[in-house]
Amino acid sequence: MTLRLADIGVRVDPGYGLGGGVTAVLHEIATRLERLADTGEFDIIDLRSLPLSPADRDRLQSVLGTGEVEATVKIDGESKVRETGIAGVWWIEHRDADGVVIADLLEIARVPEILNVAQDELGRGAAALRARIARGGNQAIQEAP
Amino acid sequence: MTRNTIGEHLLQNGVSRRAFLKYCTAMASLMALPPTMGRAMAETLRAARRPSVIYHSFQECTGCLESFTRSFSPSVESLMFNVISLDYQDTLMAAAGHRAEEARAQAMKDNDGEYLLIIDGSIPTGDGGVYGAAGGQSYVNMLKEAGKGAAAVICVGTCSSFGGIPMAHPNPTGARPVSEIISGKPIVNISGCPPVPEVITGTLFQYVSMGKLPELDTLGRPKVFFGNSIHDRCYRRPFYDAGKFAKTFDDEGARNGWCLYELGCKGPTTYNACATVKWNGATSFPIESGHGCIGCSEPNFWDKGSFYAPLSSAAFGASGNVSPREAAKLVGAAAVVGGAIGLGAAAISRKRQETLAGAAPDKKGG
Repeated sequence: MTLRLADIGVRVDPGYGLGGGVTAVLHEIATRLERLADTGEFDIIDLRSLPLSPADRDRLQSVLGTGEVEATVKIDGESKVRETGIAGVWWIEHRDADGVVIADLLEIARVPEILNVAQDELGRGAAALRARIARGGNQAIQEAP
Repeated sequence: MTRNTIGEHLLQNGVSRRAFLKYCTAMASLMALPPTMGRAMAETLRAARRPSVIYHSFQECTGCLESFTRSFSPSVESLMFNVISLDYQDTLMAAAGHRAEEARAQAMKDNDGEYLLIIDGSIPTGDGGVYGAAGGQSYVNMLKEAGKGAAAVICVGTCSSFGGIPMAHPNPTGARPVSEIISGKPIVNISGCPPVPEVITGTLFQYVSMGKLPELDTLGRPKVFFGNSIHDRCYRRPFYDAGKFAKTFDDEGARNGWCLYELGCKGPTTYNACATVKWNGATSFPIESGHGCIGCSEPNFWDKGSFYAPLSSAAFGASGNVSPREAAKLVGAAAVVGGAIGLGAAAISRKRQETLAGAAPDKKGG
Protein backbone atom coordinates (compact mmCIF):
# COMPACT_ATOMS: atom_id res chain seq x y z
CA MET A 1 0.00 0.00 0.00
CA THR A 2 1.35 3.39 -0.97
CA LEU A 3 1.41 5.95 1.83
CA ARG A 4 -0.30 9.18 0.87
CA LEU A 5 0.13 12.56 2.52
CA ALA A 6 -3.43 12.38 3.85
CA ASP A 7 -2.60 9.13 5.67
CA ILE A 8 -0.06 10.86 7.91
CA GLY A 9 -1.83 11.69 11.13
CA VAL A 10 -0.18 15.07 11.64
CA ARG A 11 -1.84 18.30 10.66
CA VAL A 12 -0.36 21.78 10.60
CA ASP A 13 -2.73 24.28 12.12
CA PRO A 14 -2.71 27.20 9.66
CA GLY A 15 -3.45 29.62 12.49
CA TYR A 16 -0.40 28.62 14.50
CA GLY A 17 3.22 28.04 13.64
CA LEU A 18 3.10 28.96 9.98
CA GLY A 19 2.23 32.61 9.88
CA GLY A 20 0.06 32.86 13.01
CA GLY A 21 2.84 34.75 14.77
CA VAL A 22 3.15 37.17 11.86
CA THR A 23 -0.51 38.13 12.06
CA ALA A 24 -0.11 38.84 15.77
CA VAL A 25 2.96 41.01 15.14
CA LEU A 26 1.13 42.93 12.41
CA HIS A 27 -1.77 43.66 14.78
CA GLU A 28 0.72 44.78 17.40
CA ILE A 29 2.42 47.14 14.94
CA ALA A 30 -0.96 48.61 13.95
CA THR A 31 -1.88 49.21 17.61
CA ARG A 32 1.44 50.89 18.36
CA LEU A 33 1.19 52.99 15.21
CA GLU A 34 -2.24 54.25 16.32
CA ARG A 35 -0.76 55.11 19.72
CA LEU A 36 2.08 57.02 18.03
CA ALA A 37 -0.48 58.99 16.05
CA ASP A 38 -2.60 59.74 19.16
CA THR A 39 0.06 60.41 21.79
CA GLY A 40 3.40 60.73 19.97
CA GLU A 41 4.74 57.78 21.98
CA PHE A 42 7.37 55.80 20.07
CA ASP A 43 7.83 52.04 20.44
CA ILE A 44 10.23 49.28 19.43
CA ILE A 45 9.66 45.58 18.72
CA ASP A 46 12.65 43.25 19.11
CA LEU A 47 12.26 40.71 16.31
CA ARG A 48 14.91 38.41 17.75
CA SER A 49 12.79 37.89 20.86
CA LEU A 50 9.92 36.52 18.76
CA PRO A 51 9.75 32.90 17.53
CA LEU A 52 9.66 33.78 13.82
CA SER A 53 10.88 31.34 11.19
CA PRO A 54 12.70 32.65 8.09
CA ALA A 55 9.42 32.16 6.19
CA ASP A 56 7.59 34.25 8.83
CA ARG A 57 10.13 37.05 8.43
CA ASP A 58 9.72 37.00 4.66
CA ARG A 59 5.96 37.26 5.08
CA LEU A 60 6.30 40.10 7.57
CA GLN A 61 8.61 41.89 5.17
CA SER A 62 6.28 41.42 2.21
CA VAL A 63 3.24 42.71 4.12
CA LEU A 64 5.10 45.79 5.42
CA GLY A 65 6.67 46.50 2.03
CA THR A 66 9.43 48.93 1.17
CA GLY A 67 9.38 52.68 1.75
CA GLU A 68 11.32 55.62 0.35
CA VAL A 69 14.14 55.99 2.86
CA GLU A 70 17.14 53.78 3.41
CA ALA A 71 20.08 54.86 5.57
CA THR A 72 23.35 53.25 6.59
CA VAL A 73 24.91 54.25 9.91
CA LYS A 74 28.59 53.34 10.05
CA ILE A 75 29.61 53.06 13.69
CA ASP A 76 31.49 50.03 14.98
CA GLY A 77 29.87 47.95 12.20
CA GLU A 78 27.03 48.92 9.90
CA SER A 79 23.44 49.61 10.87
CA LYS A 80 20.78 49.57 8.17
CA VAL A 81 17.72 51.71 8.69
CA ARG A 82 14.93 51.06 6.20
CA GLU A 83 11.56 52.73 6.03
CA THR A 84 8.86 50.16 5.37
CA GLY A 85 5.91 50.81 3.09
CA ILE A 86 3.92 51.74 6.21
CA ALA A 87 4.71 55.31 7.25
CA GLY A 88 6.16 55.41 10.75
CA VAL A 89 7.37 51.79 10.74
CA TRP A 90 11.15 51.39 10.36
CA TRP A 91 13.11 48.16 10.05
CA ILE A 92 16.49 48.51 11.78
CA GLU A 93 19.30 45.98 11.71
CA HIS A 94 22.44 46.60 13.78
CA ARG A 95 25.61 44.64 12.99
CA ASP A 96 28.88 44.64 14.90
CA ALA A 97 32.32 45.18 13.38
CA ASP A 98 32.45 41.51 12.33
CA GLY A 99 29.13 41.76 10.49
CA VAL A 100 27.19 39.75 13.10
CA VAL A 101 23.60 40.90 13.65
CA ILE A 102 23.40 42.23 17.23
CA ALA A 103 19.89 43.69 17.09
CA ASP A 104 16.95 43.35 14.68
CA LEU A 105 14.19 45.80 15.43
CA LEU A 106 11.02 47.40 14.18
CA GLU A 107 10.87 50.98 15.45
CA ILE A 108 7.52 52.74 15.37
CA ALA A 109 8.43 56.43 15.30
CA ARG A 110 8.39 59.52 13.13
CA VAL A 111 12.19 59.32 12.82
CA PRO A 112 14.27 56.48 14.32
CA GLU A 113 16.30 57.61 17.32
CA ILE A 114 19.55 56.42 15.72
CA LEU A 115 19.09 59.01 12.95
CA ASN A 116 17.95 61.83 15.22
CA VAL A 117 20.22 64.57 16.55
CA ALA A 118 20.10 65.29 20.28
CA GLN A 119 19.66 68.79 21.71
CA ASP A 120 23.15 68.92 23.26
CA GLU A 121 24.68 67.84 19.95
CA LEU A 122 23.18 70.88 18.22
CA GLY A 123 25.02 73.24 20.60
CA ARG A 124 28.30 71.38 20.18
CA GLY A 125 27.82 71.32 16.41
CA ALA A 126 27.35 75.09 16.25
CA ALA A 127 30.46 75.64 18.40
CA ALA A 128 32.52 73.29 16.21
CA LEU A 129 31.40 75.10 13.06
CA ARG A 130 32.25 78.51 14.57
CA ALA A 131 35.73 77.20 15.38
CA ARG A 132 36.21 75.93 11.84
CA ILE A 133 35.10 79.28 10.40
CA ALA A 134 37.57 81.05 12.70
CA ARG A 135 40.36 78.85 11.36
CA GLY A 136 39.51 79.77 7.80
CA GLY A 137 37.16 76.87 7.10
CA ASN A 138 39.89 74.62 5.73
CA GLN A 139 39.96 71.83 8.30
CA ALA A 140 36.39 70.72 8.24
CA ILE A 141 36.61 67.24 6.83
CA GLN A 142 39.26 65.75 9.09
CA GLU A 143 37.70 66.73 12.39
CA ALA A 144 35.47 64.55 14.48
CA PRO A 145 31.86 65.77 14.70
CA MET B 1 36.98 61.10 44.08
CA THR B 2 35.12 62.82 41.25
CA ARG B 3 34.93 60.99 37.98
CA ASN B 4 33.53 62.16 34.67
CA THR B 5 30.09 60.97 33.74
CA ILE B 6 30.13 58.13 31.25
CA GLY B 7 28.65 60.49 28.64
CA GLU B 8 31.48 63.00 29.13
CA HIS B 9 34.06 60.23 29.09
CA LEU B 10 32.67 58.80 25.84
CA LEU B 11 32.62 62.21 24.21
CA GLN B 12 36.25 62.80 25.16
CA ASN B 13 37.12 59.45 23.59
CA GLY B 14 35.27 60.15 20.36
CA VAL B 15 32.37 57.75 21.00
CA SER B 16 29.25 59.32 19.52
CA ARG B 17 25.78 59.29 21.01
CA ARG B 18 24.63 57.07 18.14
CA ALA B 19 27.38 54.52 18.80
CA PHE B 20 26.38 54.41 22.42
CA LEU B 21 22.69 54.09 21.59
CA LYS B 22 23.49 51.17 19.27
CA TYR B 23 25.55 49.53 22.00
CA CYS B 24 22.75 49.88 24.57
CA THR B 25 20.11 48.66 22.10
CA ALA B 26 22.16 45.53 21.43
CA MET B 27 22.59 44.99 25.17
CA ALA B 28 18.84 45.30 25.79
CA SER B 29 18.23 42.76 23.03
CA LEU B 30 20.85 40.40 24.49
CA MET B 31 19.31 40.62 27.95
CA ALA B 32 15.78 40.15 26.58
CA LEU B 33 14.76 43.48 28.11
CA PRO B 34 11.97 45.53 26.53
CA PRO B 35 13.64 47.09 23.47
CA THR B 36 12.71 50.62 24.52
CA MET B 37 15.02 50.02 27.51
CA GLY B 38 17.98 50.48 25.17
CA ARG B 39 17.19 54.16 24.83
CA ALA B 40 16.50 54.53 28.57
CA MET B 41 19.75 52.73 29.41
CA ALA B 42 21.69 55.01 27.07
CA GLU B 43 20.23 58.09 28.78
CA THR B 44 20.94 56.77 32.30
CA LEU B 45 24.45 55.69 31.41
CA ARG B 46 25.40 59.01 29.85
CA ALA B 47 24.60 60.73 33.15
CA ALA B 48 26.10 57.99 35.36
CA ARG B 49 29.66 57.91 36.69
CA ARG B 50 31.87 54.93 35.97
CA PRO B 51 31.94 52.79 39.09
CA SER B 52 35.25 51.64 40.50
CA VAL B 53 35.64 47.88 40.19
CA ILE B 54 38.06 45.75 42.20
CA TYR B 55 38.44 42.25 40.78
CA HIS B 56 40.06 39.53 42.90
CA SER B 57 40.97 36.05 41.66
CA PHE B 58 41.33 33.54 44.48
CA GLN B 59 41.28 29.72 44.33
CA GLU B 60 40.61 29.41 40.60
CA CYS B 61 41.99 28.34 37.23
CA THR B 62 41.71 31.74 35.45
CA GLY B 63 39.04 30.24 33.18
CA CYS B 64 36.52 32.82 34.36
CA LEU B 65 38.84 35.71 33.50
CA GLU B 66 39.60 34.06 30.15
CA SER B 67 35.86 33.90 29.53
CA PHE B 68 35.35 37.52 30.67
CA THR B 69 37.94 38.74 28.15
CA ARG B 70 36.15 36.89 25.33
CA SER B 71 32.89 38.77 25.55
CA PHE B 72 31.86 39.93 22.08
CA SER B 73 28.97 42.22 22.91
CA PRO B 74 29.78 44.18 24.94
CA SER B 75 33.48 43.58 24.49
CA VAL B 76 35.52 43.64 27.66
CA GLU B 77 37.62 46.54 26.40
CA SER B 78 34.57 48.68 25.66
CA LEU B 79 33.24 47.83 29.11
CA MET B 80 36.57 48.58 30.82
CA PHE B 81 37.27 51.78 28.95
CA ASN B 82 33.76 53.18 28.78
CA VAL B 83 31.45 51.80 31.45
CA ILE B 84 33.51 50.76 34.47
CA SER B 85 36.82 51.78 35.96
CA LEU B 86 38.71 48.52 36.55
CA ASP B 87 41.06 49.69 39.29
CA TYR B 88 42.44 46.30 40.33
CA GLN B 89 42.79 42.99 38.53
CA ASP B 90 46.20 41.51 39.12
CA THR B 91 46.35 39.56 35.83
CA LEU B 92 45.15 42.35 33.53
CA MET B 93 46.69 45.43 35.18
CA ALA B 94 50.08 46.77 34.14
CA ALA B 95 51.21 47.35 37.73
CA ALA B 96 52.59 44.47 39.77
CA GLY B 97 53.78 43.80 43.29
CA HIS B 98 53.41 46.55 45.89
CA ARG B 99 52.34 49.10 43.28
CA ALA B 100 49.34 46.91 42.38
CA GLU B 101 48.47 46.51 46.07
CA GLU B 102 48.75 50.30 46.52
CA ALA B 103 46.36 50.82 43.61
CA ARG B 104 43.90 48.45 45.29
CA ALA B 105 44.17 50.23 48.65
CA GLN B 106 43.76 53.63 46.98
CA ALA B 107 40.69 52.53 45.02
CA MET B 108 39.10 51.11 48.18
CA LYS B 109 39.80 54.35 50.08
CA ASP B 110 38.61 56.69 47.32
CA ASN B 111 35.42 54.74 46.61
CA ASP B 112 34.54 53.48 50.06
CA GLY B 113 31.02 52.07 50.11
CA GLU B 114 30.63 52.52 46.35
CA TYR B 115 32.95 50.15 44.54
CA LEU B 116 31.92 46.85 43.00
CA LEU B 117 33.87 43.85 44.20
CA ILE B 118 34.19 41.01 41.69
CA ILE B 119 35.42 37.66 42.96
CA ASP B 120 36.33 34.61 40.97
CA GLY B 121 37.53 31.46 42.69
CA SER B 122 36.52 29.94 45.98
CA ILE B 123 38.15 30.90 49.27
CA PRO B 124 40.30 28.36 51.10
CA THR B 125 39.52 28.58 54.81
CA GLY B 126 41.18 25.40 56.09
CA ASP B 127 44.09 25.69 58.55
CA GLY B 128 43.60 29.43 58.99
CA GLY B 129 43.42 30.10 55.24
CA VAL B 130 47.05 29.18 54.54
CA TYR B 131 46.25 27.52 51.19
CA GLY B 132 45.87 30.79 49.32
CA ALA B 133 47.68 34.09 49.81
CA ALA B 134 48.89 37.12 47.85
CA GLY B 135 50.84 40.19 48.93
CA GLY B 136 51.44 38.59 52.33
CA GLN B 137 47.73 38.31 53.07
CA SER B 138 45.49 35.24 53.02
CA TYR B 139 42.66 35.20 50.49
CA VAL B 140 40.08 34.96 53.22
CA ASN B 141 41.41 38.13 54.88
CA MET B 142 41.68 39.93 51.53
CA LEU B 143 38.05 39.12 50.84
CA LYS B 144 36.89 40.29 54.26
CA GLU B 145 38.87 43.52 53.93
CA ALA B 146 37.69 44.29 50.39
CA GLY B 147 34.12 43.25 51.21
CA LYS B 148 33.73 45.87 53.97
CA GLY B 149 33.64 48.89 51.65
CA ALA B 150 31.94 47.26 48.64
CA ALA B 151 28.53 48.36 47.42
CA ALA B 152 27.94 44.82 46.18
CA VAL B 153 29.86 41.64 45.51
CA ILE B 154 29.64 39.97 42.10
CA CYS B 155 30.73 36.32 42.17
CA VAL B 156 32.00 35.28 38.76
CA GLY B 157 32.02 31.53 38.27
CA THR B 158 30.78 28.49 40.14
CA CYS B 159 33.78 28.50 42.53
CA SER B 160 33.06 31.89 44.10
CA SER B 161 29.28 31.37 43.78
CA PHE B 162 28.95 27.85 45.19
CA GLY B 163 32.47 26.54 45.99
CA GLY B 164 32.92 24.78 42.64
CA ILE B 165 35.67 22.27 41.97
CA PRO B 166 37.94 23.32 44.90
CA MET B 167 35.05 22.52 47.27
CA ALA B 168 34.42 19.13 45.65
CA HIS B 169 34.91 16.10 47.87
CA PRO B 170 37.17 15.79 49.82
CA ASN B 171 37.74 19.57 49.79
CA PRO B 172 41.27 19.46 51.21
CA THR B 173 41.65 23.24 51.51
CA GLY B 174 38.33 23.94 53.23
CA ALA B 175 37.14 25.89 50.17
CA ARG B 176 34.01 28.02 50.68
CA PRO B 177 31.89 30.26 48.45
CA VAL B 178 31.82 34.04 49.02
CA SER B 179 28.31 33.89 50.49
CA GLU B 180 29.62 31.87 53.47
CA ILE B 181 32.20 34.53 54.32
CA ILE B 182 30.64 37.89 53.42
CA SER B 183 27.39 38.92 55.06
CA GLY B 184 25.35 42.10 55.01
CA LYS B 185 26.21 42.93 51.38
CA PRO B 186 24.23 42.24 48.22
CA ILE B 187 25.80 39.24 46.47
CA VAL B 188 25.15 38.31 42.84
CA ASN B 189 26.19 34.85 41.66
CA ILE B 190 27.11 34.50 37.99
CA SER B 191 27.75 30.78 38.01
CA GLY B 192 29.21 28.59 35.30
CA CYS B 193 32.53 26.86 34.82
CA PRO B 194 33.25 29.28 33.31
CA PRO B 195 30.21 31.59 32.98
CA VAL B 196 29.06 32.69 29.52
CA PRO B 197 31.17 35.81 28.73
CA GLU B 198 28.18 38.00 27.81
CA VAL B 199 26.42 36.99 31.02
CA ILE B 200 29.33 38.45 33.02
CA THR B 201 29.60 41.67 31.03
CA GLY B 202 25.82 41.94 30.60
CA THR B 203 25.25 41.77 34.36
CA LEU B 204 27.85 44.48 34.99
CA PHE B 205 26.39 46.59 32.21
CA GLN B 206 22.89 46.20 33.59
CA TYR B 207 24.07 47.23 37.09
CA VAL B 208 25.66 50.42 35.80
CA SER B 209 22.95 51.30 33.30
CA MET B 210 19.99 50.70 35.58
CA GLY B 211 21.66 51.78 38.81
CA LYS B 212 20.60 48.66 40.67
CA LEU B 213 21.35 44.99 40.88
CA PRO B 214 19.29 42.67 38.69
CA GLU B 215 16.46 40.53 40.01
CA LEU B 216 17.89 37.26 41.35
CA ASP B 217 16.72 33.65 41.55
CA THR B 218 16.80 31.57 44.74
CA LEU B 219 20.51 30.86 44.23
CA GLY B 220 21.33 34.55 43.84
CA ARG B 221 21.70 34.44 40.05
CA PRO B 222 20.32 37.10 37.66
CA LYS B 223 16.94 35.82 36.48
CA VAL B 224 17.36 37.45 33.11
CA PHE B 225 20.14 34.96 32.31
CA PHE B 226 19.35 32.06 34.66
CA GLY B 227 15.55 32.06 34.48
CA ASN B 228 15.25 29.12 32.06
CA SER B 229 16.74 25.66 32.07
CA ILE B 230 19.06 24.63 29.25
CA HIS B 231 16.50 21.93 28.42
CA ASP B 232 13.64 24.44 28.06
CA ARG B 233 15.57 26.53 25.54
CA CYS B 234 17.42 23.69 23.80
CA TYR B 235 16.95 23.39 20.05
CA ARG B 236 17.01 19.57 20.52
CA ARG B 237 13.98 19.72 22.84
CA PRO B 238 11.52 18.59 20.11
CA PHE B 239 13.45 15.28 19.92
CA TYR B 240 13.10 14.81 23.68
CA ASP B 241 9.36 15.44 23.38
CA ALA B 242 9.17 12.95 20.50
CA GLY B 243 11.15 10.34 22.49
CA LYS B 244 14.11 10.32 20.11
CA PHE B 245 17.40 9.88 21.97
CA ALA B 246 20.99 9.30 20.91
CA LYS B 247 22.24 6.15 22.63
CA THR B 248 25.93 6.58 21.88
CA PHE B 249 28.00 9.50 20.62
CA ASP B 250 28.34 8.02 17.15
CA ASP B 251 25.00 6.35 16.44
CA GLU B 252 22.34 7.41 13.97
CA GLY B 253 20.54 9.47 16.63
CA ALA B 254 23.70 11.41 17.46
CA ARG B 255 24.31 12.08 13.77
CA ASN B 256 20.73 13.29 13.36
CA GLY B 257 20.98 15.68 16.29
CA TRP B 258 18.60 13.82 18.63
CA CYS B 259 18.31 14.53 22.33
CA LEU B 260 21.41 13.73 24.46
CA TYR B 261 19.45 13.01 27.67
CA GLU B 262 20.37 9.31 27.76
CA LEU B 263 24.03 10.20 27.27
CA GLY B 264 23.96 12.13 30.54
CA CYS B 265 22.88 15.62 29.48
CA LYS B 266 22.11 17.68 32.61
CA GLY B 267 20.13 20.29 30.67
CA PRO B 268 16.82 19.59 32.47
CA THR B 269 18.27 20.52 35.89
CA THR B 270 20.66 23.26 34.79
CA TYR B 271 19.78 26.94 34.60
CA ASN B 272 21.94 29.11 32.38
CA ALA B 273 21.92 31.09 29.13
CA CYS B 274 24.12 28.75 27.05
CA ALA B 275 21.26 27.72 24.74
CA THR B 276 20.24 31.31 24.00
CA VAL B 277 23.29 33.59 24.34
CA LYS B 278 25.65 30.75 23.31
CA TRP B 279 29.47 30.97 23.16
CA ASN B 280 32.18 32.50 20.97
CA GLY B 281 30.05 35.32 19.64
CA ALA B 282 26.86 33.22 19.56
CA THR B 283 28.52 30.55 17.40
CA SER B 284 27.43 27.46 19.31
CA PHE B 285 27.13 25.80 22.72
CA PRO B 286 28.15 22.34 24.00
CA ILE B 287 24.91 20.56 23.05
CA GLU B 288 25.09 22.06 19.57
CA SER B 289 28.60 20.60 19.33
CA GLY B 290 27.26 17.13 20.21
CA HIS B 291 28.03 16.86 23.94
CA GLY B 292 25.50 16.94 26.76
CA CYS B 293 25.36 19.74 29.31
CA ILE B 294 27.47 18.89 32.41
CA GLY B 295 25.45 21.20 34.67
CA CYS B 296 28.42 23.41 35.58
CA SER B 297 26.33 26.38 36.73
CA GLU B 298 24.63 24.39 39.49
CA PRO B 299 25.95 23.89 43.05
CA ASN B 300 28.06 20.74 43.65
CA PHE B 301 28.03 19.81 39.96
CA TRP B 302 31.34 17.98 40.33
CA ASP B 303 29.96 15.63 43.02
CA LYS B 304 26.71 14.62 41.35
CA GLY B 305 27.96 11.47 39.67
CA SER B 306 29.08 10.80 36.13
CA PHE B 307 28.59 13.41 33.42
CA TYR B 308 27.62 10.46 31.21
CA ALA B 309 24.92 8.86 33.40
CA PRO B 310 21.35 9.89 32.61
CA LEU B 311 19.74 12.11 35.24
CA SER B 312 17.21 9.46 36.20
CA SER B 313 20.02 7.20 37.37
CA ALA B 314 22.38 9.84 38.70
CA ALA B 315 21.41 9.56 42.37
CA PHE B 316 22.12 5.87 42.83
CA GLY B 317 23.98 5.24 39.62
CA ALA B 318 22.46 2.75 37.21
CA SER B 319 26.04 1.91 36.43
CA GLY B 320 27.21 2.29 40.00
CA ASN B 321 27.93 6.02 39.75
CA VAL B 322 27.40 7.02 43.36
CA SER B 323 29.41 10.14 44.01
CA PRO B 324 31.59 10.11 47.13
CA ARG B 325 29.66 13.06 48.54
CA GLU B 326 26.26 11.46 47.90
CA ALA B 327 27.47 8.23 49.43
CA ALA B 328 28.87 10.10 52.43
CA LYS B 329 25.50 11.83 52.90
CA LEU B 330 23.67 8.53 52.69
CA VAL B 331 26.01 6.84 55.14
CA GLY B 332 25.82 9.83 57.50
CA ALA B 333 22.02 9.76 57.45
CA ALA B 334 22.06 6.03 58.02
CA ALA B 335 24.22 6.41 61.10
CA VAL B 336 21.66 8.78 62.61
CA VAL B 337 18.53 6.85 61.72
CA GLY B 338 19.79 3.45 62.63
CA GLY B 339 21.16 0.14 61.60
CA ALA B 340 18.35 -0.88 59.27
CA ILE B 341 19.01 2.01 56.89
CA GLY B 342 22.71 1.49 57.45
CA LEU B 343 22.27 -1.81 55.71
CA GLY B 344 20.93 0.15 52.72
CA ALA B 345 24.05 2.30 52.63
CA ALA B 346 26.14 -0.81 52.86
CA ALA B 347 24.21 -2.25 49.94
CA ILE B 348 24.97 0.87 47.89
CA SER B 349 28.59 0.60 48.84
CA ARG B 350 28.55 -3.09 47.91
CA LYS B 351 26.92 -2.35 44.58
CA ARG B 352 29.57 0.27 43.84
CA GLN B 353 32.32 -2.17 44.74
CA GLU B 354 30.77 -4.82 42.51
CA THR B 355 30.55 -2.34 39.65
CA LEU B 356 34.14 -1.28 40.11
CA ALA B 357 35.19 -4.93 40.26
CA GLY B 358 33.18 -5.63 37.12
CA ALA B 359 34.80 -2.71 35.31
CA ALA B 360 38.32 -3.74 36.35
CA PRO B 361 40.35 -6.29 34.38
CA ASP B 362 39.81 -9.84 35.56
CA LYS B 363 42.79 -10.44 37.85
CA LYS B 364 42.10 -14.12 38.22
CA GLY B 365 42.18 -14.63 34.54
CA GLY B 366 45.21 -12.40 34.09
